Amino acid sequence: MSVKIEVIEGGMPHTNIMIGGLVVSVICIYLTYLNVLTGTQLFAFFGGLGAIAAIVWGSHTIKHLCSYGIGTGVPSAGMMAFGSGLIAMLFATRYGVAAPIVAIILAAVIGAILGYVANNILSMHIPVMIQSLVEMAVIGALTLMGFAAMMTGSFELSSMTVGQVTILGLSLPSYQASLLGGALLATVFMLGGIAIQHPFNACLGPNWTQDRMLMLAAECGFLSMIPAAVMSMALVSMPAALISLIVSLVGWYYTYANYIVLSKRDAAEWLDAKPIPELEGH
Amino acid sequence: MSAIGAKPAGGAGLDTTSALVGIIILIVILGAMYMLGSSVALMALIGVIIGGILIGFGVHFVPVGGAPAAMGQAPGIATGVAMLAAGAGLAGLFGGAWAAEQGLAVAVITGGIGGGLMMAITCFMVNFIYVFGMGIPAASGKVLKDPITGDSQPEFKSQGTEGHGLPFISYVGGVIGGIFGGAGGTLIYIMLLDVYKESLPEMFGAQAAQVLPIAITLAGLFAIGIFLVNAVLAAYNITGTIEGPHDPKFKRFPRDIIASAVASAVCGIVAILLVAM
Repeated sequence: MSVKIEVIEGGMPHTNIMIGGLVVSVICIYLTYLNVLTGTQLFAFFGGLGAIAAIVWGSHTIKHLCSYGIGTGVPSAGMMAFGSGLIAMLFATRYGVAAPIVAIILAAVIGAILGYVANNILSMHIPVMIQSLVEMAVIGALTLMGFAAMMTGSFELSSMTVGQVTILGLSLPSYQASLLGGALLATVFMLGGIAIQHPFNACLGPNWTQDRMLMLAAECGFLSMIPAAVMSMALVSMPAALISLIVSLVGWYYTYANYIVLSKRDAAEWLDAKPIPELEGH
Repeated sequence: MSAIGAKPAGGAGLDTTSALVGIIILIVILGAMYMLGSSVALMALIGVIIGGILIGFGVHFVPVGGAPAAMGQAPGIATGVAMLAAGAGLAGLFGGAWAAEQGLAVAVITGGIGGGLMMAITCFMVNFIYVFGMGIPAASGKVLKDPITGDSQPEFKSQGTEGHGLPFISYVGGVIGGIFGGAGGTLIYIMLLDVYKESLPEMFGAQAAQVLPIAITLAGLFAIGIFLVNAVLAAYNITGTIEGPHDPKFKRFPRDIIASAVASAVCGIVAILLVAM
């Protein structure tokens, strides 16, 4: 038996964050379906917001798991999440409208088997191992699906594999100019992976506070959303991509400013140091 | 006390009941693949499982030092398994992917050489920085004599540390681990690429050349995903750090082979069913 050495003091219980993250993420990803209903691509940015909700939830799950001392470092949990989530997410995109639900169920099954393997066959014996790996796989799948929905305007396999190439004013379907054909999903994989593992890695320690870590997670999510929005210019219409970019920039600035405020609050003391003044006449 | 200071609790023994359950899961998945897909798909799944086992086995050779190594208090490369495996394995995977058109054997060997080369350069630079930058000699804390060169170790070990630097055996272990990891990653990639090349043109109603970028991306992404899952499971098995093949923790590899086989089978069947169903 391993000993839990870092308890969560104060703040919201993990269950609330899990339910909140799951519900917000699924709703936001489904809101991108408005694109299909209204015939535009302007609602694509909801996918990015869904991914950020999953990232915020994910950072707390990593905190929950790593407080038992898994010994492998925090980034490994993020890599595990995306490795297993990616497989579930790509398979689920075949199922059209039901894709997010299928992704959640399949990711949970894969996560449960991986959790059993890690906990029992590898004798980790960590009480929250299976639950955490289930959550991590779901989080990985939802984050990737959210960003993919944001970059293509839809969460279906057909829109991720077929893009448009304009040659001499003629618009032609192309498999190469798409999210999968252009391997943009590999970039999203790393953008999400870094965003999910960084918050707890940066905030862990004796003065860990929940709101500061979650704010940093949201900040990292918006930071990853900015390059995703830039990349989406190649795949969705320019107004939709610009809306995503503006939402991500505004969200990033807001969360970053708040994170700095919270960091100053939690610091023992801080000095607003100025650059070395250039003194003249000496 | 922070999470980093926690002592991992992984024991050394093999839990027979869990191992049996794992083997049963493996057989069920292989059976399901045989029922649902073609014989090509079953062969591909077996290839993916072998690749996953190679990756998991390879990680046990790599001298992973973690944070203590960064402070010169433990031997090994000063980072975690996830980073090292991603570096060595993906270098091998990319190397092997270039050679994919020249057949399975050439591609897998190329992948192995790519991963091994990456680890050789990494280990060399790590030792260079340890010796000339931090001024510490290479000494193992787990063995009295280097199993390959026979050099005596304890005289060079600083008091209060578990050893430091990369002894020769750790260097060799790193290169072997890179070869296994790169070869395993490439094997998964080639197996999945063959399945996708065959099924995707039919699925999309397009010519093979048109959907080739999608087949390559899907195979590459799934290979990376399965690679990372296996690498992290191996990291859980060695509880974070290992010195190399001479470390007592190396003897835990049998249970990781079962774990890697089950994990690769679960991920592999989903990856193959994406097109086969």
